[in-house]
Amino acid sequence: MYFIDVSKEKKEKYVVEKQGKYVFFLHNISGKIYIEIQKPNTEVYIFGLFIGRNNDVFKLETVQHHRAGNSFSNLLIKGVFFDRSKFIYEGLIRIEKKAQKSHAYQKNQNLVMSKDCFVDSRPFLEILANDVFCTHGSTTGGLNEEQLYFLQSRGLEKAQAAELLVRGFVDDLLGKMRDLKVNQLPEVSYLLHLRGGRL
Amino acid sequence: MQQTQGLDFEYKFGFAMPERPVYQTKKGISSRVVAEISHIKNEPAWMRQFRLKSFEIFVKKSMPTWGGDLSRINFNNIIYFAKATNKQENSWEKLPKEIKETYDRIGVPEAERKFLAGVSAQYDSEVVYESVRLELKKQGIIFCDMDTAVREYPSLVRQYFSTLIPPHDNKFAALNSAVWSGGSFVYVPKGVKVTLPLQAYFRINAQNFGQFERTLIIAEEGSYVHYVEGCTAPIYTTDSLHSAVVEIFVKKGARVRYTTVQNWSKNVYNLVTKRARADEEAVMEWVDCNLGSQLTMKYPSVYLYGKGARGEVLSIAFAGEGQHQDAGAKMLHFASHTSSRIISKSISKDGGRTSYRGLVQVAPGASASSVFVSCDALILDEKSRSDTYPFMRIKESDVSVQHEATVEKLGEEKLFYLTSRGIAKQDAEGLLVNGFIEPVTKEIPLEYSIELNRLINLEMSGSVG
Repeated sequence: MYFIDVSKEKKEKYVVEKQGKYVFFLHNISGKIYIEIQKPNTEVYIFGLFIGRNNDVFKLETVQHHRAGNSFSNLLIKGVFFDRSKFIYEGLIRIEKKAQKSHAYQKNQNLVMSKDCFVDSRPFLEILANDVFCTHGSTTGGLNEEQLYFLQSRGLEKAQAAELLVRGFVDDLLGKMRDLKVNQLPEVSYLLHLRGGRL
Repeated sequence: MQQTQGLDFEYKFGFAMPERPVYQTKKGISSRVVAEISHIKNEPAWMRQFRLKSFEIFVKKSMPTWGGDLSRINFNNIIYFAKATNKQENSWEKLPKEIKETYDRIGVPEAERKFLAGVSAQYDSEVVYESVRLELKKQGIIFCDMDTAVREYPSLVRQYFSTLIPPHDNKFAALNSAVWSGGSFVYVPKGVKVTLPLQAYFRINAQNFGQFERTLIIAEEGSYVHYVEGCTAPIYTTDSLHSAVVEIFVKKGARVRYTTVQNWSKNVYNLVTKRARADEEAVMEWVDCNLGSQLTMKYPSVYLYGKGARGEVLSIAFAGEGQHQDAGAKMLHFASHTSSRIISKSISKDGGRTSYRGLVQVAPGASASSVFVSCDALILDEKSRSDTYPFMRIKESDVSVQHEATVEKLGEEKLFYLTSRGIAKQDAEGLLVNGFIEPVTKEIPLEYSIELNRLINLEMSGSVG
């Protein structure tokens, strides 16, 4: 397994040339990440986490480019946006004609915590082969009222309940990375930039 | 004769209506041609001014740089206005055999066939039509072609015409505004529910399948109307560009459903602007089936202006050899408690390309709104292609926006199962494709969906005759 922390390497283009499992991680960075899959029997995971505070603006573009068949890629971008932060995301899965039997997935989930945020999500697909599995999904919204209500009915303050839900939302992504044996992951509190331990 | 041969080669399910126009403008477009069209139609000054102004805008606007390939459109090689003859002298017996067979297999009723084939320019059931029109009139409903509306209901037309899609909107809306002809005008008074779907080709006279139709529908408070345009039977036309504009106003608590079944022959550019405005608690539904044309670019939209308004787009796109269907939907939420749903099903085959292109926008203040978008694509062979280009712009926190898309081929296991039960492979494929689009076809009038199913089977089984 190869672990690539894009936030540290800051490269734009990554070419997957060898068989194996690759895990990419991005955290609060703007820019373009282009991943070209040139070999079959490759598994590529891309995890992105974005926490927007104050006037943060993130502009992210990702490309999962399948040039070889029997390849697999799975992207999950999660964002939590507070204050007046903005997130502009464009993701593309492109499967070339010769890349038959590819599986490519793309998911973007955004939690909007303030009325002044702006989220622009464009999950694109360009599929030129027929024997493939491709799905993408995108959700954007505030915290689930029913979940908040449930936690409050169990004696939690509203703020505590919200924090728990946001932590859960972020930890879901980290959990998926842990499952892939990525160790030394940052703490949720650190990632969320919790102010004095609160949202 | 030559044309018929070319037709066989290019589009085997199509047919040519022999063109015998009484009057037509010269090829190409200029302010003179625009003024001439207005003059022939004997229009009031305001409409002439509007056309001329739109023409100026058309000249200034640039071509869209996204979507399909528009580079081969030559605006100077198009006849923008032709007045058709009243009677066609073609006879049913003289029609090419394969066209008759296509009709048989799709199951188009005899009267409609004759009409479609140009055998009778006037609908044979004119008597029926008259009684329907009387019935509508009694309820205060206006249903006529747009030219008549400009003449007879000028104040009503002026109040709404081009307010939702101004000529500035895009190059093709400007073109339509300059040279429009035909199209329908529908006015439904407050509280009136139209029980019968209004069908565009139910109207008499030959303007039904105009190139630059202009349709305006106004549904007053609490009313309901279902408008159907097009037909599943293939329409052959020598026109290479079809550019319509459709504006719909859905007032408080009203509901409008607009169904389109488009099967232009495969040499047509179909570039259409369709938009609806939904006020408080209003419901607007677009049902859009695109089967024909060389390139279709069409994104029916709903502007949700009133609290609790709802918008829906159900669409099917089928792209065969040499076709590109760039279709989708736009939902713009401007008020609270608004909801929208987009269901798109596309199929590409024999090198065809389908693209879903959509926009969902939630403005600040459109709280407690929800959006659901689902796009499914089937790619039937390795030459074909499918794209998905959704745009989501969210400026409100109290919303729920969901988008999902899948792309896949026909399930091999399902095919295997069906063939193991003795169903021929082609029939099994047709069955699965029809199952795939069923969530949309069940929403369109029965006679259309039956025809659509048969047409899909026909496309799947390769050739006819």
